Amino acid sequence: MNRITTIAAALLAAAALGLGACGDDEQNTTAAAEPVTISDAWARVTPPEAKTSAIYMTIASEQGDALTAASVPADIAGMTQIHETMGGEGHGEMKMQEVDRIEIPAGGSVELEPGGYHVMLMKLARPIAAGDRVPVTLTFERAGEVTADALAREG
Amino acid sequence: MPGWDATRARLTAALGAIATVAALGGCGENADQTKLNGFTRTPSPQVAAAKLPDVSPWSRGREAAFRARRGGLLLTYFGFTSCPDVCPTTLADTRRALERLAPGERERVEVAMVTVDPRRDTRRALNGYLSHFFREWRALRTTDTRALARAERAFGARHQIGPAGAHGDYEVSHTASLYAVDDGGVVRVEWPFGTEADAIADDVSALLAERGEGRANTDRGEDR
Repeated sequence: MNRITTIAAALLAAAALGLGACGDDEQNTTAAAEPVTISDAWARVTPPEAKTSAIYMTIASEQGDALTAASVPADIAGMTQIHETMGGEGHGEMKMQEVDRIEIPAGGSVELEPGGYHVMLMKLARPIAAGDRVPVTLTFERAGEVTADALAREG
Repeated sequence: MPGWDATRARLTAALGAIATVAALGGCGENADQTKLNGFTRTPSPQVAAAKLPDVSPWSRGREAAFRARRGGLLLTYFGFTSCPDVCPTTLADTRRALERLAPGERERVEVAMVTVDPRRDTRRALNGYLSHFFREWRALRTTDTRALARAERAFGARHQIGPAGAHGDYEVSHTASLYAVDDGGVVRVEWPFGTEADAIADDVSALLAERGEGRANTDRGEDR
């Protein structure tokens, strides 16, 4: 009897610890959001009168994440979307379409690159010149908002 | 999404395979045909008959045939200026390819862009866009959709204007190849999107060398 009580108490204690540990984990997750790493961010220099441009970069994540939105200041572009260019195999046509999210695999990275994913800038307020720094704010499902400077250069 | 390097590597492999097939296929017909990085087709498309107005500052709207100057090449692209990703990538690669040519070669090469979006690409917009990439160009623009379709068909190119979005914007899908047309109006090679500048430059040099100093063998170009 005594022994059973002891075991039960031990189990309860373990359960309580377990619960406590879970709570701590969640707090840790929230407090120190799993970071993403943005590298080689660049924006395409625009020809005169162009109203669109694109930003490219490499996004890496240890835990896995998803890019769900991107924006730039209104004095650079009036509208920003995440796009994917598709097609182009052989003699095929190529087209762009807006995507809701880009998955970043755990321990891996995704390239935003010409002919693939890019942050599309529309309604440009002014041309983007070589050497300009375009601050782009990226929204991730887990990491939250991350801002990176995209250096403007030719394609 | 594979990395760009992987994509390029795949493309290079595919081009290699196609070039091999093309070379084999062409043996009976033209055994000394230059081996190229881009695609070649049999028969090679003849595009001289498809004329479009050249709205560049040098031509001011005169109709121009798709044909290079004697002994030269006309690098031709179908695109639009609101294209933020694909078109500027190819045009920048084209410029880099031209920069890699010897001066004697470069002066034999012209560049033409046909807009597939004449509604947004006014004469001013198109010329402004091209001036960003090149010192001289042909800016081909027509609002006659049938004339544009005829030109595209001659090259084996297509485009499609998508439905207007909430902001009146629309997407354009288009064949994103760059074509080299010779002085007889024959498409000698087609480079798909993503072909590196060096590969383009090598093909241009090879084709120019084939034509010697411009004393052209004009037997290819049947004018229609």
